[in-house]
Amino acid sequence: MHLKVNDESHEVTVDAERTLLSVLRHELELTGTKYGCGEGNCGACTVLIDGEATRSCITPVTSASGRDIMTIEGLADGDNLHPVQEAFVEHTAFQCAYCTSGFIMSSAALLDRNPAPDDDQIRSALSGHICRCGAYVRILAAVKSAAGEPGSGDGGAG
Amino acid sequence: MNASESQPDIAITVIGPPRWTPEPDPRVPHGDPATLLTIDADAIVTAFSGKVEYGQGIRNGFAMEIADELDVVVDSIRIVLGDTALVPQDRGTTGSASTRTVGIQLRRAAATARQALVNLAATRLEVDSGALKTEDGRVVSNDGATGVDYADLLSGQSLTLDVPDVVEVKAVKDFRLMGRSARRIDAVSRVTGAAKYVRDVVVPGMLYGKILRPPSYGAKLVQVDTARAKRVDGVISVVQDGDFVGVVAEREDVAEYAVEVIRARWEESRDTASDWNIPALLKERAEVPTALRDEGDLESAFGSANRVFENTYYVPYISNAQMEPSASVARWDDGNLTVWCANRGPFAERDSLAEMFGLPADKVRVIAAEIGGSFGTKTPTVSHEAARLARAIDAPVRVSYDRAEEFAWSTVRPAATFEIKSGVDANGKIVAWDYTAFHAGENAFRGQRGADTMYDVDNVRIAVAASESPLQSGSYRSLGGATNHFAREVHMDEIAVGLGIDPLEFRLNNLSHERLRGTLVAAAEAFGWETRDNSSGKGYGMAIGYDAGSFTAQIAEVTVENQEARVDRVVVGFDCGLVVNPDGARNQIEGSIVMGMGTALWETVEFDGGRVLNAGFARYRVPRIGDAPEIEVVFTGGDDVPSSGAGEPGIVPTAAAIANAVRDATGTAVEQLPIVPNL
Repeated sequence: MHLKVNDESHEVTVDAERTLLSVLRHELELTGTKYGCGEGNCGACTVLIDGEATRSCITPVTSASGRDIMTIEGLADGDNLHPVQEAFVEHTAFQCAYCTSGFIMSSAALLDRNPAPDDDQIRSALSGHICRCGAYVRILAAVKSAAGEPGSGDGGAG
Repeated sequence: MNASESQPDIAITVIGPPRWTPEPDPRVPHGDPATLLTIDADAIVTAFSGKVEYGQGIRNGFAMEIADELDVVVDSIRIVLGDTALVPQDRGTTGSASTRTVGIQLRRAAATARQALVNLAATRLEVDSGALKTEDGRVVSNDGATGVDYADLLSGQSLTLDVPDVVEVKAVKDFRLMGRSARRIDAVSRVTGAAKYVRDVVVPGMLYGKILRPPSYGAKLVQVDTARAKRVDGVISVVQDGDFVGVVAEREDVAEYAVEVIRARWEESRDTASDWNIPALLKERAEVPTALRDEGDLESAFGSANRVFENTYYVPYISNAQMEPSASVARWDDGNLTVWCANRGPFAERDSLAEMFGLPADKVRVIAAEIGGSFGTKTPTVSHEAARLARAIDAPVRVSYDRAEEFAWSTVRPAATFEIKSGVDANGKIVAWDYTAFHAGENAFRGQRGADTMYDVDNVRIAVAASESPLQSGSYRSLGGATNHFAREVHMDEIAVGLGIDPLEFRLNNLSHERLRGTLVAAAEAFGWETRDNSSGKGYGMAIGYDAGSFTAQIAEVTVENQEARVDRVVVGFDCGLVVNPDGARNQIEGSIVMGMGTALWETVEFDGGRVLNAGFARYRVPRIGDAPEIEVVFTGGDDVPSSGAGEPGIVPTAAAIANAVRDATGTAVEQLPIVPNL
């Protein structure tokens, strides 16, 4: 099976019923994408497929084959963080950060299709994510500040 | 200790007990001396602590403290945490005690090293050490005319220093970093996916384990058929040892599948406790309450009281539901066990593993990875499971819980029932206070935290009892503290409403504690309590609390409509003494409030006869980003007051403040949590 992840092509031999999350983490060793619930309810496993924020824990790997997959590891441009990553650092929009990859990927996808979202649009885009450390106020502030930054619309890539 | 051996060019090693308190405190023994801090010849500082990082930013706090004491940049500091082979013995990262007892000792160690650097410079420059000061990684003369870099002084040195009994640490006015907000030093690794949690740890030859779970707590395995699981392609072994059955496979998904095809018959316990009948059962099944305080004459005080109030309150079982489900990696080498874990207490985990396998403690090394949240759960159980499987098949094994396992088999915050009877005189002064709490769980001590009242009262009885728990109860953010505060502070509003007195006035009329008054007055002022709009249809409620040496007051503004409650705004007064990192402390307080809001409004573990019924986020409502209120924090502590906890105290008044606000909005008292299902 052919997988294009973070602009790199991979040939993997995997069972068709495996989830994209499992293949990313185990076969490609891209462990920045996290398992949180396995049911698509918490958002920790979010990646971009053709620019759309997608729950990789409920996505069969076959359905991602041949499409543009981007994980948290592919978001920065070398050492230059994506504006959303930069804003999360600036606002310390995390505590344990286990949920952070997912929040950042969904935020990047949001800004890609809507460069100037209002608070409600940000809340709506991130409503499927859970942060149990409760850093929501900061996450909201971080995404708002990233929205004004040049390059913040590059998240979609696809 | 072999930390210094692994870094050959160590120039200064500072040794001392890992903890320190200004006055001897039997609850906080200082511990055996160990290496606390090293400085290598390139002036790179490494500090060692048995604390762990589970989101509270402890690495940052320690680094800033050391940077200030040593006058070096934060970038030149490394913090080694939670590896039992490298760091001083520690009792676990609990009780918001890290900054209070370990942070201050690291400052003292850093100050010891700084004095040694000054002494080296005095010899080198042939001047009196009193004529020298430190700045920016250099020792310089007070007039700035001469100076020498730390690295120059350290070259060729090999000093070992003990932290003396008396160490002069810097005064607040001389801090450059402490007290100012700072970016987390681990921030970039957190936003790029580079930070390694236990589930991300891979060791050579590692296999994947999955445990067969009973349908309910206390169920006994009667019969099991593992033949089909053994035939699954990729399964290495099915391990059975009594009721313990686990699959080891080449991949995690294979292990998960193989466990599903194991057929088993269980004999379940016949306990009748369920989430709907547990409030009364907690009292029925409790042991005799232990009186923590029994003063004055309650009977005559109630007899002469102008008004008497009496009520029962209840808080349910709560799931910690941290984002990272439990996981562990175990590896055996020649009878030595190494475990990578997400436990807050790596030394306790080491000791429990040593006991389980009959090993001396030094044969077990436990390494805490980055921890994806805890809030008190994450026990050694998953490491026991991984170690058992790893030993049985003689290969490293990782066990990772799925979300349903985490909900059903991790520990939960114990439920509790409270009975409060109070008497008030004609001036609105509390004259009698009789408080009894029945906390689920075998350890009554856990329910004692926060049980005592901080209000003025001469005739008082505070009693706490442990009660049999049908679920596996464990720790939580301010275990006991958050639940005891709910009962007491909701009762306070019951009195105020009953007397027709403003809840702020009623509290201040019964509160002499200066620091608590300070937080309440500050919160009321910042909130605009006196000018709040009572015709807005919103509800306003307050609560105060104490925990981990700190004091706090919170005022909540809520909207209740369509059988939903939304918290619009929370204003916080917070006194934790000197605030080392205001942004870090604020982050902790905000998180505490969001978490406390979940416990107030929605969260409850539904169970029946030992079966957990809502083991998933689809059926266990937690706060999401759309629920997050506006939060304002006012710090009221003095800079000359030693730092106290910031990670937990923020949660203790939250549920009560919200409950009191909901009562204000609806006119109906909130006597049990969660609120929304009962609206």
